[in-house]
Amino acid sequence: MSAPANPLLRPPRNRVDPRARRWWTVQALLTVSGPTLLTALALAVCSVLFFPGALPWLAPLLLVALVLPALGYLLVMPRWRYSVHAWELGSRAVYAAGGWFWQKRRIAPLSRVQTVDTVRGPLQQRFGLATVTVTTASTAGDVKIAGLSDADAEELSRRIGEAAQAVPGDAA
Amino acid sequence: MTTATSPVTGAPPRWHRLDRRTLLVHCGWLAAPLGSLALTALATGGRIGTGAWITLASIAAAFAVLTAIGSVRWARTDYRVTHDSFEVRSGVLTRRLRSVPLHRIRTVDLTASPLHRLLGVTVLRAGTAGPADGSGDLSLEALTTADAERLRTALLARAGVRATDEDPVVSRIDWRWLRYAPLTFWVVGGVFAAAGGVYRVLDGAGIKPWKLGIVRSAFDEFGARALWVTVPLALLAVIVLGTVGALALYVEGWWKFRLEWTDARTLRVHRGLLTTRSVTIERARLRGVVLREPLLLRAGGGATVRAVAGGLGNKEENRKRSVILPPAPRAEAMRTASGTLRAGFSDAGLREHPRAALRRRRMRGLLFVTVPGTLVLAVLGALLTPVLLHCAWVFALVSVPVVLWLARDAYRNLGHGLDGRYLVARSGTFSRDTVVLQREAVAAWTFSSTPFSRRAGLVTLTAAVAAGEDGYHVRDIPADDAPALAAAAAPGILEEFLAHGPAKPRPDLRRS
Repeated sequence: MSAPANPLLRPPRNRVDPRARRWWTVQALLTVSGPTLLTALALAVCSVLFFPGALPWLAPLLLVALVLPALGYLLVMPRWRYSVHAWELGSRAVYAAGGWFWQKRRIAPLSRVQTVDTVRGPLQQRFGLATVTVTTASTAGDVKIAGLSDADAEELSRRIGEAAQAVPGDAA
Repeated sequence: MTTATSPVTGAPPRWHRLDRRTLLVHCGWLAAPLGSLALTALATGGRIGTGAWITLASIAAAFAVLTAIGSVRWARTDYRVTHDSFEVRSGVLTRRLRSVPLHRIRTVDLTASPLHRLLGVTVLRAGTAGPADGSGDLSLEALTTADAERLRTALLARAGVRATDEDPVVSRIDWRWLRYAPLTFWVVGGVFAAAGGVYRVLDGAGIKPWKLGIVRSAFDEFGARALWVTVPLALLAVIVLGTVGALALYVEGWWKFRLEWTDARTLRVHRGLLTTRSVTIERARLRGVVLREPLLLRAGGGATVRAVAGGLGNKEENRKRSVILPPAPRAEAMRTASGTLRAGFSDAGLREHPRAALRRRRMRGLLFVTVPGTLVLAVLGALLTPVLLHCAWVFALVSVPVVLWLARDAYRNLGHGLDGRYLVARSGTFSRDTVVLQREAVAAWTFSSTPFSRRAGLVTLTAAVAAGEDGYHVRDIPADDAPALAAAAAPGILEEFLAHGPAKPRPDLRRS
């Protein structure tokens, strides 16, 4: 493939707030890793109390099937996500990258923007973070930027609102 | 088409009520519980137990309450068409006036269930350009058929553009197409679904099917005979039943099917024997078509067509209402698709996707079908019985060629290209879908990838449109070409984020 002939989609310019890493870690602990580790612990304790004979094969099984994946997710996901998540507001479109394993880069023109929502969940509030969602008439065109600092989110939603006003569009 | 109930200028038009027979339609729900009760009475020889009496009493109470609510609601619901909007007043305690500007109405459908048709009424539903979940829609249940037709004409009569020089009828039913009816999965699945339905009805009526004499003797016979005769016979019976069912469904769904342009801006599908369905799609909301070829139908040379249009309701409603051609010969499907788009297009000469896409499909099939199936069977075999061990190696041996064949088919079905005003993308093996999308309808682009696809140099491009299923994929295209394709297909969205200056689409991306 001749590289210079083809334009490449560069990553968005702005990274999300570094505190997002801690937010994603706590989220992982609460939703996936925590429950998985507790399950493994409960199974191990039950085994020790009632079926000590099962421990030699159960312990490695738990380690491989539950403990390692849970720890891996807890340690890897937030860093990986942070390296991927980014956003940029261009003159005609808004551009966001997200995900970690499955990565998504989405570009929606400002002329199609319908609403700009800023959401702060209870966890996000503790870290001073916010998620900005730019909706279009198509659900496959909604741009979601998670992990922005409060100030950035406010600034971004204001600027998108203004830009969407300025760019003539049908929004439908 | 007549333009009755045309808005009276000057004095505001008066409010109309729904048809009185609506009240009778609302009693339709009685049929199921009363029928099941009658069945119980029949099965028990006329003796009605305490449970049945309680059921009867609760049905009566529910009937009284629902009828009362229904009458009040009927009396408090009315509608009118003013010179610029369609208004519906409803609500018993909280009065609600919903007003939709006429220019925002995109589709007007009339649907009549058998009960509605018995009573000579129909349900009118006006779809708007609002959110895709259909929350912006207005529906009236129910109007007399004549009133509904008049109202539909009035709602759609905006800036009367008429006169189409082409034949307005895009397609109409040809009963030779019936041969495609049995070519669906539902030939087999439908029989089991129907059997499940019958079982549940009987169970609800308190009848245990396996205690009936006929069923028991049938099972005894089945077991007593040689299995190599009875099993194929049973299979044959299922297929015959399924075929009959599929034919019946086809006839019911597509009786008097006609797809036509009622004027230059409105496409209408009319069909149905017992339940008549009539779906209107405004041209401005028509964003493309999908040519669907499920595996069996494709083997038989058939295809169906769906419209990609906005305002057809939520996902499930859209799935039902967007069908604009029943299973029919592929040539007819292509003709219908072109007639719907008012532009010829061809799906020949689509760009092939890189070989890496084939490797991914093979890998996926082997990883998600062959390996887990074999492992599960092998582990169960090791634990329980050696028969399953044999099943495991047979499964591995059989599934590998099947998976490889399907992967190859899936790979060969991949293709994309630009054709005039349209972006054409094809993918799928169980259902080969060729999506033809208006390029200017693309509202956003998404590039999705995983570490595996990045290593293979592939990316999936998703075009967001405010119609149909919202997102349409161009799967596994070279990551190097994807930005150029997106920029060429719908200019003005992503140019400023491209790394090598303004996008210059490579000449071979466009097909002449």
